[in-house]
Amino acid sequence: MIEGLFLLLTLPLVMAGVVYVLRRWASLSALLATCTALILGIALLVLPLEQSVLSLGERQINIDGNVTFLGRELVMEQTDRLAMAFLFLTAAGLFFLAWRFVPRSLLFPVGLSMLSLLSGALLIRPLIYAILLIEIAAALSIFALQAERQPPTRGGLHYLTLTTLALPGLLVIHWLMERYALTPDDKGLLNTSAILLLFSFTLLLSVVPFHVWAPAVGGGKRDGSNPLAGAFVLTIGNGAIWFLLLNFLEAYPGLYRYPRLSSLVSNAGLAMVIVGGLLASAQRRLGRLMGYGALIDTGGALIALGMNSKAGLTLLFLSLLMRPLGLILVAAGLSGLQARNGGDDHLDELQGLSREAPWSTAALIFGALSVAGLPASAGFVWRWALYRALSPSSPVPALFLLLAGMGVMIGLWRALSVLLSRPQVSEESEDVPKEGLLTAVVVAVSIAACVGIGLFPQPLAPLATRLAEMYTFGGW
Amino acid sequence: MPTLVEILARVSFLAAMPAVLGVMVTAGLLVVSRDWRVNVLALAAQYFFVVLLLTRQIRLEVAAVKGLIGWMICTVFYLTERQASTFERSAVAEDESPAQRRRWIMSTRVASCLLAALLIAVVAYTAALRFPLPELPSDITLACYLLAGLGLLLIGLSGTPLQVGLGLLTFLSGFDLFYVALEPSLAVAGLLGAVSFIIALAMAYLRIAQLAAGGDEEEA
Repeated sequence: MIEGLFLLLTLPLVMAGVVYVLRRWASLSALLATCTALILGIALLVLPLEQSVLSLGERQINIDGNVTFLGRELVMEQTDRLAMAFLFLTAAGLFFLAWRFVPRSLLFPVGLSMLSLLSGALLIRPLIYAILLIEIAAALSIFALQAERQPPTRGGLHYLTLTTLALPGLLVIHWLMERYALTPDDKGLLNTSAILLLFSFTLLLSVVPFHVWAPAVGGGKRDGSNPLAGAFVLTIGNGAIWFLLLNFLEAYPGLYRYPRLSSLVSNAGLAMVIVGGLLASAQRRLGRLMGYGALIDTGGALIALGMNSKAGLTLLFLSLLMRPLGLILVAAGLSGLQARNGGDDHLDELQGLSREAPWSTAALIFGALSVAGLPASAGFVWRWALYRALSPSSPVPALFLLLAGMGVMIGLWRALSVLLSRPQVSEESEDVPKEGLLTAVVVAVSIAACVGIGLFPQPLAPLATRLAEMYTFGGW
Repeated sequence: MPTLVEILARVSFLAAMPAVLGVMVTAGLLVVSRDWRVNVLALAAQYFFVVLLLTRQIRLEVAAVKGLIGWMICTVFYLTERQASTFERSAVAEDESPAQRRRWIMSTRVASCLLAALLIAVVAYTAALRFPLPELPSDITLACYLLAGLGLLLIGLSGTPLQVGLGLLTFLSGFDLFYVALEPSLAVAGLLGAVSFIIALAMAYLRIAQLAAGGDEEEA
C-alpha cells in the first residue's frame, strides 16, 4: 500500500524540481505548476479518507488520516484536509495569473516547495516541527519575493526576520505546556505560555507595530519585491499561520481561556484596522496599498476571533477564504503595470498606463474593490457579515473597519486618477509586449470569479461554517 | 589524523567561561566590523565556541554536526562575498575619495556599535543573573543571552543582507544553545540546522541580487 499522505507532501516538491528545470519554457512550467496545485487541491476535497483511492497493479494508494514518518506523526483531520485544499487551490489561482504576468519568475518552483512545507506544517505532530517547517518556508520565500533587477527585497528581509524572532517563543510553549500538564497548579507556566503565544503570533501575523513587512512585500522599485510572490505570502503563508494558531489553541485550549486574551486579540485587530486604513488612504505606492489592504483584512479577522464565539470563528474562516480573490488580482494588476515602467509602483510613474495595460488596470481595480470590501465583491461577503455581527454589541470596531475600507478606496481613487490620465511617453514600455488575448481571458476569468463569489457566496459560506464547527477549543 | 570529534574532546577544557568569552568577543566583532573577511572568520570562530558549549549538553557527535553546518554556512558567505568583492573592487579603485570619507564615518560608527554591544553585554549579564534559563548552567545562560542580544543588535543596526543574515544566525545560535537542553531530539537539531542553512542561502541570493541591481546599500 502506498500512503497517499506522503504523495500529497512529496508531489509538490518533485514538481517544483521539474518546474525549475523547465523554466526555459515559461508557459509549460507555469501551467504545470498550476495543474499540480489544482489537481492536488481538488483531490483533497473529493477523495475519500481511509479508503483505497487508486490501484497501481497490486499496490493501492490510500489517504489514511494517520501516518508515522521517521518517528513523527502525520495526522490529517478534516480541518487539515480543508486547510490544505484552500492552500493548494489558492496557489493554483495565483499561478494561473502569474502565468500571464511573471511567467519566468521563481514563484512557481518556490511556491510549490512552500506548499509542500506548509502542508507538512499542518499535518505534523507535535507542533514544534510545524513551526520549524514554516520557518523554512519563510526562508525559501525570499527566492520568490526577490524581483529581477531590483535591490534586495526589504519586505522579504523583514518577513524572514520577524518569523525567525517568533520561532523561539512557539518552540518553548510546547515545553512549557507539557510541564503545565504535569503540574496544573503552576499558573506561571500558563501565563508565560500565553504571553509567548501572543508575542509570537503578533510577529507572525504582522500585528502593529510589527507590520513593516506586510506593505513592503507588495512590490515596487524601493522594496524590491515581486507583487505576486508578496500575495503568495500574504494569502497562503498567512493562511498557514492562521491554521497554525488555531491548531495551537486546539492542542492547548487552556491558552484560549487565558483571561483577557479575547480583548487583547480584538484590540490588536482594531489597531491593525486603524493603522492600515489611515496609511492606505495616504499611499502613493500601489504595492504598499496592497500590503495595507492585507493588514486591514488580518485586523478584521483578529476582531472576529476576539468575538469569542462560533460565529466569530466562522467569520474568521470566511475572511481567510475570501481574501485571496482580491489580493491576488491586485498583485497581478500591479505586476502588469510595473512591467511597463521599469518596476516602479509609485503613482507618479504610472501616469496613463491604463491605455497601455487595460487588463492589468482592470485586475487592479476589481482586486482593490474586493480588498476595500465594496458590495458585489468577494471581500464584501465576510465584511458585511462581520459588520452585522459586531454592530449590536460593539459598533466601534465595525465603524473603523468600514472607514478602513474607505481608506483603501481613497488610495484606489488616487491611483485611478493617475492611471486614467493622459499617458506619458515611456521608453521602457516599448520593450514590453502588449497584453494579448490570453491575458485578457485569464484576467476576465479571475475578475468573474471574484465578482461571482461576491454575488453568490453560497458555496464558500457553508465551508467556513464546517471549518468552525470542527474546532472545539472555545467550548461554544 | 584526529577526527573532528577527537579534536572537540581535546579542547573540551575550554567549554566553560573561556567559550562564553569567545562567544562574546566574536559576536561583538560581528556587530562592530563591516569587513566581510573579519565577519566570516568571527562567525566561524563563534560556531566553534557554540559547539564547545553544546558538548556539555548533547552528544559530541551531534554537536560536531551542528558545527559542520555552521562552518558550511561560513563557506557560503565566504564564496558570496569573495565574488561580490571582485565586482566591487574595480568601482572602488576608480575613486579613492569615498574610501577616505568612509574611514571617518566608519570610526564614528564603530564607536557607537561598540558602545551598543557593551550595553547589550551588560544587559545580558544582568538578565543571566536575574532570569536564569531553565535546565541550563549560569555560564551557558549568559552565552544564550549574549548571542540573542547581540544578534538582535546586528539585525537592528543594518539593512544589508549579509549583516541581517549574520544577526539572524547569531540569534538562532543563542536559541539553539538553550533549546537543546529542553528538546535534545535529533529531528529538531536537524531542522534547526536546515533553517540556518537556508537562511544563509537566502542571504547569499539577496547579496547577489544587490550586486545585479548595481547598488551597494550602505548600512545604517
